[in-house]
Amino acid sequence: MSVTTQYDFDAIVVGSGITGGWAAKELTEKGLKVLVLERGRELRHGADYTGEHAPDWKLPFQGKPPRELYAEEYPVQSTSYAFGEATRHFFVNDKQNPYQTEKPFNWIRTDVVGGRSLVWGRQTYRWSQQDFAANQRDGHGIPWPIGYDDIAPWYSYVEKFIGVSGEKLGLAELPDSEFLPPMGMHKIEETIRGRLKRKAPDVNLTIGRTAVLTQNHNGRAACHYCGPCHRGCSTGSYFSSQSATLPAATATGNMTLRPNSVVEKLVLDSETGKVSEVRVIDSQTGERLRFRSRLVFLCASTVGSTQLLLNSGSEAFPNGLANRSGALGRYLMDHVHGIASMGIFLDDMDSYWHGNRPNGTYIPRFRNLPGQEDQNDFVRGYGIQGNVVRMNWKVNYHRKGFGANLKDSLRKPGPWVWAMVAFAECLPDKRNHLYLHPNKRDRFGIPQVVFDAQWRENEYKLWEDAVGQSERILRAAGAVLNLKQHESDSPVGGAVHEMGTARMGNDPTEAVLNAHNQAHDVPNLFVTDGACMTSASCVNPSLTYMALTARACDYAVKQMQAGVL
Amino acid sequence: MNRREFLECAALLIGGVSASQMGITLTVEQQRHMASSPNYIDRKMSYFNAAQRATLAMLTETVIPRTESPGAIDAGVPRFVELMVFEWLNEQERNLFVDGFDALMAQVQRDHQQPFEALAEKTRVSILEDLESAASDSSWYSFGEIPVYVSDAPFICQLKELTIWGFFTSEVGGTQVLRYEAMPMKFDGHQKLRDDDSSWVSVLI
Repeated sequence: MSVTTQYDFDAIVVGSGITGGWAAKELTEKGLKVLVLERGRELRHGADYTGEHAPDWKLPFQGKPPRELYAEEYPVQSTSYAFGEATRHFFVNDKQNPYQTEKPFNWIRTDVVGGRSLVWGRQTYRWSQQDFAANQRDGHGIPWPIGYDDIAPWYSYVEKFIGVSGEKLGLAELPDSEFLPPMGMHKIEETIRGRLKRKAPDVNLTIGRTAVLTQNHNGRAACHYCGPCHRGCSTGSYFSSQSATLPAATATGNMTLRPNSVVEKLVLDSETGKVSEVRVIDSQTGERLRFRSRLVFLCASTVGSTQLLLNSGSEAFPNGLANRSGALGRYLMDHVHGIASMGIFLDDMDSYWHGNRPNGTYIPRFRNLPGQEDQNDFVRGYGIQGNVVRMNWKVNYHRKGFGANLKDSLRKPGPWVWAMVAFAECLPDKRNHLYLHPNKRDRFGIPQVVFDAQWRENEYKLWEDAVGQSERILRAAGAVLNLKQHESDSPVGGAVHEMGTARMGNDPTEAVLNAHNQAHDVPNLFVTDGACMTSASCVNPSLTYMALTARACDYAVKQMQAGVL
Repeated sequence: MNRREFLECAALLIGGVSASQMGITLTVEQQRHMASSPNYIDRKMSYFNAAQRATLAMLTETVIPRTESPGAIDAGVPRFVELMVFEWLNEQERNLFVDGFDALMAQVQRDHQQPFEALAEKTRVSILEDLESAASDSSWYSFGEIPVYVSDAPFICQLKELTIWGFFTSEVGGTQVLRYEAMPMKFDGHQKLRDDDSSWVSVLI
C-alpha cells in the first residue's frame, strides 16, 4: 500500500508499549507506512538496560532506596515492585508529570520507548468464555460485542510470536495457550500441589504462565534465570516491544519511530467525520508538529488514550472525541490485589534452588464457576498468584545478638514462605471515572487527568472471600503457621491493570468502540489498549490487549483494502 | 561477571544467531553500566577522622567477625557505614548515630582507659550487649512489616542494621559468605541443601 499525497503516513500509532508495538508490527508487516509516536525518550534494546545484572554491591547504597528522592520525585512510581535504582530510568518522574485525585489512584507510568512492556509482570493468561459472558449474565456493565471464539485464534497468533511458557490444564475457566515447555517447580510447590489435590480438590495449582522463554524462540534466547526481568533483558528472553515487536516492525522498513513525541490532540475533519491530523509536541524542543494519516491507532495506555480523546473535543463531539455515548472516561477498572494469605512451611527443608525463576505459581479462579454462580453473595471471582521463597537475612535481621552466631544464622536459608497474592475482578461502574481538570495543566499545556475511582461492595466481598479461601488453601497445603498477612490497602491502579474508560460494545449510545476496537463515530480511529475493555476478568490483561490489537489491525487493513477506510 | 563478559556469554548462548543480529553489540556506553562500574563502597569520601574510623571498623567487626569466612572489615563494611551515615541517613538519624557513636567512644575511654578497638573480643561484645539491652524497647526489634529504616532507632540498632546490610550486600559477603551467580542458565527447584550451605544472594525479594 502506498502513501498518497493526502497523507504523511498510512497509519499513526500513538504509543510504543505492549499494544503500540503490536500495532506497529502488524500494520507495517501488512505493508502500511507507519509512524509510531512515543512520548518517552529513546531507549536502545540491550544497550540502555543500565541496571541489568548489577549485583547489590554495584547499586547506590547497596540497594537501600534513596528515600528522600523517591518521596519528593517518585512518590507514586516507587510503590511499584519493579521500581528501584536499577530501573528508575524507565519510569516517569511524578513531580514533572502530575495528576490529580479525588480518591487515591496509583498511576504507574514509564517514560521510554517500549513503555510498560519493559517492566510488566509477564504473566500471560487467556480470558475464558465465562469472562466475556459475565456482563451479559449478571447485568453489570454492557455485554461484550465479542466472545471467546472471536478472539481465540488471535490469542494463538500472539502467543506463537511472543512465546509463552506454561502447562496445559484443559480447564474451561483458564483456556490453555500455545505453550513452550513450562518452567520447573520448587519441590515445596510440588508438595503443596500434592496436598491440595487430596485436601482441596476444587483448587488447581499450576506453574505461572509467563511470556518468558524456556527455549530459544523466534531469534530470542531462552531465559538465563538471572531473576529481575524488569531491569531489561539483553537476550530478549522475556517479551517486550523492545525485544520483539519493534524489531519486527523495523525489519519491514515501513516504520518511523518518533520518541519524545507528546500527542496533544486529534483533529476531526468535520466533513469526512474522520481524524485528519495528529498534533504533537516535541518534549525536548517544544516544537509543535502535525501529522496526517489514513488510520490512527491509540495504544497510549488506558489513561493516556482516554486523556487524549477527552482533550480532542470539537463542535461535533463537545465532550471528547468519539464520545457520543458519554462512556468515555467512565467504567474505570483495575484488579483488587494484594497478599491474601502468607504461611510458613517446614517441609522440604533440605531442598533449595539453583537459578532465579522469574515466575511463580497460579491458582486459576475457582469461585462462581459456571453452575456455581448463585452460591455466593458476590459475583465474579479471583485468581491467586503464589510465590515461595526461603526466608533469608533480609527479612529477619532485626534481632538480638552479635558475633559468629549472628553471622552464621543470617547466612543460612530459613523456612519456606508461601505468599498468596489474589487478583480479584473489578466491576465496571459508571461512578468510577477519570476526567480532565478544568484548569490544571501539565508542562505541555495539556489538561491534567483527575481520578475518581474506588473499590465498591462487590470488590470488598471478593477480597474478603479471597482471604477466607486462601486460609483454607494454606491449611490444606500444610502450612505450619499462618502469618495472617492480608494486604488489601492497594488503591485503584495499584495492580497496574487499569482498564476501561473507552469501552467496546455493540450499541453506539452506550459504547465508544465497536467489536473491532473502532470508534463507533470516527471510522478511522481505533483504540486497542486497556481503555477498550468492557469488563476486567480476574486474569492479567496484557495478552488480551495484544490479541485485540492484532485483530483490530487485521480488520482495519481489510477495510482499507476494501476501500471502506 | 562484568558487562562485557555477560554480553559475550549472552551472544554465545543464542547459538547460531550472531550477536549483532540479536541487537547485542557492545558499545562505549555499555561500559558505563552499573554492572561494570566500581562498587558502591569504592566511592571517594572522608567524613570520620582516623580515631573514629578505627573504632567504627572494630564495631562492625564485633557485629560480624571474621570466622572461617571473611568478616565486616574484609567486606569493606566500615566504608559502607560511613557512606550511609553521611549520604543516606537523614539529619535526625545521622545525629542519633553520631551522638551515640561519640558517647560510646567516650564511655569506653572512661571505663577502660583505652579505645574500643584495643579491647578483648569478650569485652567488646559485652559492651554492645549492654547497649542492646538498654535499647530493647526500640521498635527496631519488633516483628512484622520490614521497614526501609526505623528513623528513631538508637545507635546500637543503626550500627547493626548498617553493618548487616552492608555485609550481606557487599561483594565479599555476597560471593564468599552467601552465594552468587549472575547467570545460572537454568532453574532447578530440587537443588539439595546441605546443613552448612549459605543462601543465594536474593534478587527476587
